[in-house]
Amino acid sequence: MRTEGIWRADVQQRVFRELVEAFSRPGTIREIGDCIDGAVAQRAVLATLMDGEVTLADPHGQIAPADWPLLQAKPSACEHARYVAANGGRAPDFEPALGTLESPEFGATVLIEVERLGQGEIALELTGPGIDGQRRLHLTGLHPDWLRRRADWVGSFPLGVDLLLSDAHRIVALPRTTQIHRLEGVR
Amino acid sequence: MNAVSRSNAYNFGFLDEYAKKEVRRAILKAIAIPGYQVPYASREMPMGRGFGTGGLQLTLSLIGPNDVLKVIDQGSDDSVNAVNLRRFIEMTCPGVSTTTKTAECTLIQSRHRIPERPLTSKQIIVLQVPYPDPLVVVEPSEDKRKTMHGEADYSRLLVKLYEDIVKFDEITISHRYPTRINDHYVIDPSPIPRWDVPKLHASAALILFGAGREKKIYAVPPHTKAEPLAFSDVPFRVEDFRDEQGRRRACARCGCTDSFLDEFVTDSGIKTYQCSDSDWCNEKMALARQTEGKPA
Repeated sequence: MRTEGIWRADVQQRVFRELVEAFSRPGTIREIGDCIDGAVAQRAVLATLMDGEVTLADPHGQIAPADWPLLQAKPSACEHARYVAANGGRAPDFEPALGTLESPEFGATVLIEVERLGQGEIALELTGPGIDGQRRLHLTGLHPDWLRRRADWVGSFPLGVDLLLSDAHRIVALPRTTQIHRLEGVR
Repeated sequence: MNAVSRSNAYNFGFLDEYAKKEVRRAILKAIAIPGYQVPYASREMPMGRGFGTGGLQLTLSLIGPNDVLKVIDQGSDDSVNAVNLRRFIEMTCPGVSTTTKTAECTLIQSRHRIPERPLTSKQIIVLQVPYPDPLVVVEPSEDKRKTMHGEADYSRLLVKLYEDIVKFDEITISHRYPTRINDHYVIDPSPIPRWDVPKLHASAALILFGAGREKKIYAVPPHTKAEPLAFSDVPFRVEDFRDEQGRRRACARCGCTDSFLDEFVTDSGIKTYQCSDSDWCNEKMALARQTEGKPA
């Protein structure tokens, strides 16, 4: 039996390096389609990061039942999970963990699947660590509530959540330090 | 799994995939919270803790067959620690190429120096860290230090620096100079000399720190503010390489006058100075030979 690419160690190493680039340079879109062999980006990222040590919440039913045993992650409520997989088209209807002052790394990583990165009706101007000056990000299919809620979640650094947006085969990170300004009427 | 090498029966990168995932999750959180020391489950490595096991675990979790690796120890590619780590990585990561040239590498593991040649956005540097917490000199309890870091309360550290000024008229920290990242966390930038501290600021390359014994990973992302702690009337300054006459000392080998110099005492008891970064020194010498028309 041939193992699907995303469960292989060499593919996971390449996906991880793309994640490192994405988090180091918020707002830059990283293309991972060529290494994940037709799998959806969010699923490939989960395969790369999950094992039996972490908790994962799936409020929007993003994860196929057959994938859970392979991911090995412990299913958990959104409020406590270290990782949350979500559908960006739906409004966030949960409060993710924000970490504590002593241990801000317990703030969740939220993986949000959107329709399309790189173009669309939502235009964001980003500043912060990892960005030389400012960077612009266009995307389609993110419910406007996400940005409002995120602003509350990351309001008191070092507490907060780190977002990883993805479409079919691209990823872009918005860690808690990134300041997001939504541009109106820009395409 | 095709990642298991046929030749040596080690998993690619020596660490098992679970260990790598643990390190990888910590790396991503470290980048997302600049300067914060993320705890992680540090593994036993086949070498003593204190020989760069933290940096090595980062390198092994990052590295892939397309990488070109450089390993530095105190600026040199040829010292025992650097050679051993490089050989270990070559043995356990089939397909990875290694180099001594800063310009050619994609991944650098380093002990105590950042190369003189400015790093690029295509490179990642991993620094080996013996003592990750700058607050350890003023507060023995880790619980309390974690709260102080969270609140960005560094007043006691500043008092320590002030005491230095009162006693010696200047801040006496020669290496591991406490540096504030993105206006919040203060890090111990590993035992790099002061000379290298300004390179942390707005770096093009991602800078990662790994402390294996203390089980911490932290990061300075690219284009991030990094300010050495100082006072407005006693600013931070790097090492001074001027001689008694006030002239900048030059490297005895390549003649470079704008690099960090190591001091040597010759057999006859005379002090001489040489570039600490051996690749930089070799490059300068090759350049000099070229301009003189000799073969490089």
